[in-house]
Amino acid sequence: MTLSRRTFGRLVLGAGVAAPFCFTRNASAAPAPKPGDELIVGIWGGVQERIVREYCEKPLVAKYGCKVRLVLGGTPERRARAYAERGRPSFDVLYLNMAESRQAVKDGVTQPPTAAVPQFAHLLGLAKLGGYGVAINPITIIYDKRKARAPVTSWKDLWNPEWKRRIAWPAYPAAQGAAGLLMSAKVWGGDERNIDVAFQKIKELKPFAAISSSQDELYQMFDTGICDIAIEFGSLSRKYGETRNPNLVIAAPKEGQAASLNVACITVGTANQRLAEEWINLHLSEPCMLAYARETYYSPTVDNARMPDDLKPKLVAANDVGRLVDFDWDVVNRNQRAWVTRFNREIAG
Amino acid sequence: MKKWLGPALAAPATLWLLAAFAAPFLVVVLMAMQADSDPFAPLSFIPSAVQFQAIFEDNFYVSVLLKTTALAAGVCAVTTLLAYPLALWIVSLRPKWRPLAISAVLVPLLINVVVRSLGIELLLAPDGLINAVLAAIGLPRATNMLYNYGAIAVGLVQVFLPFMVLALYDVLQSTSPRVLEAARSLGASRTAEFFTVELPLSLPGLRAGLTFVFLMASTTYVSARMLGGKKAFTTGMLVWQEVLENLNGQFAAALALMMTVIAVIAAVTIAFGMARMTPWLSFRPVRAWSIPRGVMAVLDAIVPLLARMLIAISLVLLLLPLVLVFVQSFNDVPQATMAGFRAFTFRWYAQLLSSGLYFDSFWISLQLAVVTSLITVALAAAAAFALVRTRFTGKTAAEAFWMFPISLPQVAIGLGMLRLLQMFTALPAFMGLVLVHVTIALPFCIGLLRASVQQLDLAQEEAAGSLGAGPLRRVLHVILPGLAPGLAAAAIVALLLSFEEVTITSFLTTARMTTLPVRIYAEASYSLEPTVYAISTFIIAVTLAAMLALGRLVRLDRVFSR
Repeated sequence: MTLSRRTFGRLVLGAGVAAPFCFTRNASAAPAPKPGDELIVGIWGGVQERIVREYCEKPLVAKYGCKVRLVLGGTPERRARAYAERGRPSFDVLYLNMAESRQAVKDGVTQPPTAAVPQFAHLLGLAKLGGYGVAINPITIIYDKRKARAPVTSWKDLWNPEWKRRIAWPAYPAAQGAAGLLMSAKVWGGDERNIDVAFQKIKELKPFAAISSSQDELYQMFDTGICDIAIEFGSLSRKYGETRNPNLVIAAPKEGQAASLNVACITVGTANQRLAEEWINLHLSEPCMLAYARETYYSPTVDNARMPDDLKPKLVAANDVGRLVDFDWDVVNRNQRAWVTRFNREIAG
Repeated sequence: MKKWLGPALAAPATLWLLAAFAAPFLVVVLMAMQADSDPFAPLSFIPSAVQFQAIFEDNFYVSVLLKTTALAAGVCAVTTLLAYPLALWIVSLRPKWRPLAISAVLVPLLINVVVRSLGIELLLAPDGLINAVLAAIGLPRATNMLYNYGAIAVGLVQVFLPFMVLALYDVLQSTSPRVLEAARSLGASRTAEFFTVELPLSLPGLRAGLTFVFLMASTTYVSARMLGGKKAFTTGMLVWQEVLENLNGQFAAALALMMTVIAVIAAVTIAFGMARMTPWLSFRPVRAWSIPRGVMAVLDAIVPLLARMLIAISLVLLLLPLVLVFVQSFNDVPQATMAGFRAFTFRWYAQLLSSGLYFDSFWISLQLAVVTSLITVALAAAAAFALVRTRFTGKTAAEAFWMFPISLPQVAIGLGMLRLLQMFTALPAFMGLVLVHVTIALPFCIGLLRASVQQLDLAQEEAAGSLGAGPLRRVLHVILPGLAPGLAAAAIVALLLSFEEVTITSFLTTARMTTLPVRIYAEASYSLEPTVYAISTFIIAVTLAAMLALGRLVRLDRVFSR
C-alpha cells in the first residue's frame, strides 16, 4: 500500500487534532472498574492507615467490589520504587510530600491533577501543584516548656544557649529536614539560592542530641529525655502533646511556619485510573478531611470541608494558608543531591 | 565415567549464577562508569571516572569508607573474642546437650535482621532493659547508648556472632583428642592447651569466619540504619541513600564497587595473614608457639574467669533481644520502639488475626522461600555431585565461581538486578526475586551437599550395580535415601535464608510483591506498632519448629560447616 502526500498530510492533521483528547483524558475515558480490581496505595502507617481504610477503602470497596492494598512506610521507598517502575507502575496511588510530588510530575512518574477528580474544583491553590494536596501540615519548632527560659517565638530561638546539645535536628532530605534548612537560611539572611548561610548557622548548633529520621523516633526521644527541642510537623505533634506529653509546646514563630503538604499522586500508566481518581476524591471529601482534622490536626485542602468550631483554632484556615512560608521547590529539588551530601558531611556525620 | 557428566552437572548452577550474579554485577560496573547521574539516562558504554572522582574528591565519602572498614574490623575482633569461648564451651558439652547449644546459636541467625535490630534497640534504649537494671541498682542511666557506632557494632556482633561460632566450632570439634592429650601429658594447663594447640589448629576456621564477618559487616545497612540513626554513617547506608533518596544509582554503584574492592582487599589480607600463621598447611617449616612462663601464669589466672564471662555475654547478646521481642508482643504501648513495659495485652495478636495484617506479605515470603528452596537444592545437588564424583577441566574455577556470591557485597547484586529488571520488564518481579534468592542460598547449599555427597557410601552403589540395578534405580533406591538428610538440611537452610533476606530484596520488591522482612523494615523506618512483635513471635515459633524438624533429620552443627 502506498500513501499519497495528501493522504499522509490528512492523517498527520487528524492525529494532531486527536492527540489533545488522548493527553487530556478524563475519568470517563478510563475503563470502568470491575469487581476484583485491585488498587495499590502507598501511604504512611499508623493513624493515617486507619483513617483511609475507614473513609476511602470501605466506600470504594462497597461501590465497586474492588480490593485495596495499602503499602505502608516512609516516602523514600515508595518514591524510589515509583521511579524505577516509571510507565509500568505497581502503585496506583502514592502519597508524597510537596517537593517530591512536584518533581515526580516533571519526571513523568505521576500525573498532574485534573478535574477528573470532582473535588479538584475545591482544592486550594497550594494543593493543586504536583498532585492532589490532601493535608496541610506545617512544620515548626516543638519543645519542652520546662526547659525553655522563655517561650520560643522565632526560628532564631533555636540558637539560644539553653538548647545547646538538646536539639534533635531533622534528617535531610525529609520534609522536616528541608524545612529546618530552608527556614534557617531565611531567618539568617539567605534563601534557597543562598543556602550556605544555613549550613554555617546550623553547624553552630552542633553537637546535636540526635538526628531524627521519623516522628515515632522523635517522640520517643522526647519521652525518654534525649532531646528537648526539635523541628517537626505541628499537627501530629499537637496530638502527641495532648495524649502523651503535656509539657510539649507547638511554637508559632513570628517568621511563620514552613508550608508542607501531603500529596496524593496517581502514577502515570496506572491500570486503575478510575479507582485511583475515586480514591482521591473520597480522601478529599468532608468526612475524611474531618476525621484527619480530629485525629491528626491535619488542615483541609479543600474549601468545601466545614470544620467544627472546637477544631478551628488548631488548624490552618484557608485564608491563612498564604501566611505559611513557601519556597522555590524547583531550586530545592535541583540542589537536593548536593545538599544531602553536605548535610551528611557537615551536620549529621 | 562419561566425560560430559561433570560439565553437565556443573552447568545449571554456573548458568544460574551467570544470569543472576555475574550479569547484575557487570551492570553495577557499567553503572559506576557512567558520566550522567540522571535516573532515566540510558546506559552508555563509554567509560567515565566521574563517579569515582566524586568519591575521592570528597573527604566525607573517604572517611565513611574508612570508618566502615574500621567498624567491620572492630566487629571481627569482638566476634572473635566472644566466639572462641562459646565454641569451645559447645565442643566441651556432652553430645546430648550439643544440639540444644547449637540451636541457641542458630535460632538468632535465622531470624529477621530487622527484628533482631529492634531487639537491640529495646536493650539499649534510654528506657530499655540495660537502663532499667542500672536504675534498679542505683546507677545513673546511660541515655546515649543508641544512634552511634557503638550501637551499630553491638547490633552487628549480635547478627554475625553465630557465623563465627559455627566456623570455629567446625574446626575445634575436629581437633584430635590425642593432640590435646599429648599437650596435657607434657604439663600444659587448660589455658596453655588453648593458646598453643587449639588456637593454631583452629586458624583455618577463624579465617573463614573473619572473611565472612568482615564482608557482611562492611556492607550492612539495615542494622546500621536502625541503630546508628543518621549520626553514624556506613557505606551501605550511603548506597541506600543514593539509590532511594537521591535516585542516583550511578553514584551508588561506584560506592558499591568501592565496597567490593575493600572487601576483596580484606579477604586477601586475611588469607595472606592466616597462611603465614599456618605454615604447616603448605608444608613449610613450623616453629612451635611458646608463651613465656610469667605470661602463662597470668593467663592461667585470668582466662578461665574471663571465658565464663564472655560465654555469658554471648548468650545474653544472642538470646535476650529475642526474649525482648516476645515480651514486647504483649506490651500495651503505642509504638514498637518504646521499651518500658506498661501493661499486658493480647491486643497486637488480636489485631494481627482480625486485620490479616502482614499475612499477605508472609504468604509472599513463604512462596518465595519454597520456590527458592526447591530450585537451590536441585542446582546445589547437581553441583555437589560434579565436585565430588567427576573430573573436568575448569572444575576449580567453577567451584570458586560458585562461592563468589558470598564474597561480594549483596547490595551490589541488588543494585545491578534492579537495573536489569528495569531493562527486562517482561520478567515478573517474583522471578527476579527468585533469581537473587537462589544466588544467595546456592553457595551455602553447595557446601552443605558436597559434604553429604562425600559421605555417601560408594560400596552400596557398587553392590546395587553388581546386583543388576540400573543408574535410575541406584539413584532412587541408594543415593537419594542416603542423601535425604543432607537434602532436607539444604532445603531448610535455603528456605530460611530466603525467608529472612532483606538487603537485596528491598531493592527488588514491588507494591504488589512485598516480602515480610522488607515490609517490616519499611514500616520500621517510619512508624511501627507492636503488631510487628506479634508477627515476629509467630515467625520465631515457626523457625523453632523448623529447627526441631531439621534437628531430627540431620545434626544441626553440620548446617553451616565448611
